[in-house]
Amino acid sequence: MESDHELIESANRGDSDAFDVLYYRYRDWVYRLAWRFTGNRADALDVLQETFTYLLGKFPGFELTAAMTTFLYPVVKHISVAVRRKSRRFASDDELLDELAAPASQQAERSRCELAAVLAVLPEAQRAVLLMRFVDGMNLLEIASALEIPLGTVKSRLHHALRALRDDRRTRDYFLE
Amino acid sequence: MTEKMSNFDENPDLEVSSKLTEDLQTLFKPLLSVPPEVDRAVQDRVNRHFARRRFTGARRRFRWVALWKVAAAAAVVIFAFSLNLTDTPKQDVRYSALAKSEAADFDRNGRVDILDAFKLARRIELASSNSADLDINGDGLVNHDDVDMVALAAVSLTPAKRGPGKGVF
Repeated sequence: MESDHELIESANRGDSDAFDVLYYRYRDWVYRLAWRFTGNRADALDVLQETFTYLLGKFPGFELTAAMTTFLYPVVKHISVAVRRKSRRFASDDELLDELAAPASQQAERSRCELAAVLAVLPEAQRAVLLMRFVDGMNLLEIASALEIPLGTVKSRLHHALRALRDDRRTRDYFLE
Repeated sequence: MTEKMSNFDENPDLEVSSKLTEDLQTLFKPLLSVPPEVDRAVQDRVNRHFARRRFTGARRRFRWVALWKVAAAAAVVIFAFSLNLTDTPKQDVRYSALAKSEAADFDRNGRVDILDAFKLARRIELASSNSADLDINGDGLVNHDDVDMVALAAVSLTPAKRGPGKGVF
């Protein structure tokens, strides 16, 4: 499998297939993140297209200096804010968590509902780092680069988020003894 | 820093079960996948973008080739001018006409030669004459340019229709 850098190099030489591979490699990741930021499917799909249009505009001449997710995260976030503002379908993370909690109580396990409830009261900065780490699969350095904050701040936010989950009796079971 | 915190710094999710990751991913996973229309829309943009880039590149290359052709043609023209290739025939005709003209035959020996040029120079120098007869090149002035003209006519290498014995030298 070609690395991101190899694909980018090929795309810089005019290989559209290389860009397609990049698209399918990060499509779901971008969509999931956009859906989390916008809170609805239509906006998330708009963000998905805008994000890859933005990335496309970088070619030829694009140079990736960090992980692809580190590059994409702020792009998705900024476009999501713009799309939400434009469509006036603003949904905060808290609203999204409320939405998540409702169907989950009927269809999914009870523990997942309780997890959503605990996440809803976490400060947004801590929740963002927690989700970047466990949902988006980014490592701490990538999170620090994407959010443009020191690594120590990332560790601190993640530590506080996990401690809040551990201290809450509803989510204590997620932690090993 | 406690040993626990140190371990946390190395691996913050050390004590977190994999179920947390699974449940978070389930919670934050969109209910529906990306529809194929969106994929097609993105791919259309990708194809248009790269096709435009290829066309622009080809057009740019064509421009460069055209530019080089123009530059080469200009260089040839400049080189030709520097060799007086364009002027020479006209001047030769003019000189050969003058070589046959009586106006430049100052010593009346039936031909225009270098002695006529000397004679003209002496006349101009001694008499400071402004006679219209001495204005060989017709510029309204009688000066060394007229002498040069007679001299060039005398040494012209392309005399037109000269008979035997009518050569310059």
